[in-house]
Amino acid sequence: MILPILKRMAWALLLLLVQVLVMDQVHPWGYGAPLLCPLIVITLPKGTSRSAALLWGFGTGIIADIFAGTAGISSAALTLIALLQPPLLELTAPRDSEEELHPSFSTMGRWNYLRFIILLLLIHHVIYFTLEGFSYFFLTDIAISMGVSYAASLLLIVIIEHVRSPKK
Amino acid sequence: MHDFIERITAYVHWALFLLLEALSGFLLFQYNHYQGSVWFTQANIVAAQVHEWEADVLSYLRMPAENAALVERNIILQHQNDLLRHTAPSQPTLKGRESHGQAASPLMGDLEGYLIPARIIDNSVRKKDNMLVIDIGSNDGVEPEMGVVSGTGVVGIISAVTPHYALVMSILNSHSSISCRLRGTEYFGYLKWKGGSPLRASMDDVPRHAHIRKGDIVETSGFSAVFPPGIFLGKVAEVKNSGDGMAYELEILLSTDLANIRHVAVINNHSKAELDSLHRQ
Repeated sequence: MILPILKRMAWALLLLLVQVLVMDQVHPWGYGAPLLCPLIVITLPKGTSRSAALLWGFGTGIIADIFAGTAGISSAALTLIALLQPPLLELTAPRDSEEELHPSFSTMGRWNYLRFIILLLLIHHVIYFTLEGFSYFFLTDIAISMGVSYAASLLLIVIIEHVRSPKK
Repeated sequence: MHDFIERITAYVHWALFLLLEALSGFLLFQYNHYQGSVWFTQANIVAAQVHEWEADVLSYLRMPAENAALVERNIILQHQNDLLRHTAPSQPTLKGRESHGQAASPLMGDLEGYLIPARIIDNSVRKKDNMLVIDIGSNDGVEPEMGVVSGTGVVGIISAVTPHYALVMSILNSHSSISCRLRGTEYFGYLKWKGGSPLRASMDDVPRHAHIRKGDIVETSGFSAVFPPGIFLGKVAEVKNSGDGMAYELEILLSTDLANIRHVAVINNHSKAELDSLHRQ
């Protein structure tokens, strides 16, 4: 019971370190940095209680916010996708999937998992960049930042998940 | 009971979600200067708009009371204005036009405290003999022969009272005759309404040697005990010869649009005149 939680915490810590030390320093063409933290919420296994998922999302967000100096932004966006993750996983996971399914390319299938990532990541980025910009006056800038960061995040997450996914 | 607890726990995550989002929102606005300032200004704009609506509604609700107070204030000021004009005879505008002394008015001194506010509940301006009904009566100290005025001038004279209502003979009544004068002179006459426009009346018996110009102000003379001197009636719109050619007949543009008033005040001239006569003894 404790071991999976510790493994998950180690995974979250690793992603947070990469986010803070590497990703937050990268700004493609001067626009938004890639965001890897959503992956911590995306990969929560099926069967995680909804309250636990929310705490994972909020906790991850708070740590990311502390290091990035974006108080409340990551935590709000990650808490929202943590609320949506369990029902979306139910929808996109194959019907005959196991009770404690760990979302990945190998367990869910390439397209199902990709769809799942695309959707949750999109919701996360919309909320994140809306809160960060917080004004309709900079709508174009916000949209470009969001688009660049979304594309970079999606690419990196797909690569990470491909590497992490056990080969069949 | 078990079902109930299960149901509650099934929704716990929603409460937790709202709590965590609220906490994020708090952190966002508390520790991010830009978002905090945007939130602060936007929230202030919304709050200011809501306060403005509230103020509009409240001022609308307070309007009747404010109107009544304004009517009273206006009448008092008109009367005070008249008293001042007569106590400052060296005033340049009146020089040469002032006649010899002020006619003794039964209503001297300040009007403050002698006005009873009222609301018109029935009114007519289209008939030959127009009457009004106001919402105060003998219980409020109203008696026949008391004057009724609005913030813009004379309205009529009380003709009958019941405990709660009073019937007012409007100045737009063929039997109405108000003693009036031209401001700054002692040329006086009687204001009468001969039908037609509710905004026009006539002033008869103005001597032919009087110098009258269009736009001269016509006000109450104070010769009767009904109205104190100096209450507006209107302005001279036209100067005509009377039927017998012995005097002028002035067409007066009334200052009060009787078709469009709601708040008036009754001048409690009875106790006022009594008190004034006591003072003079």
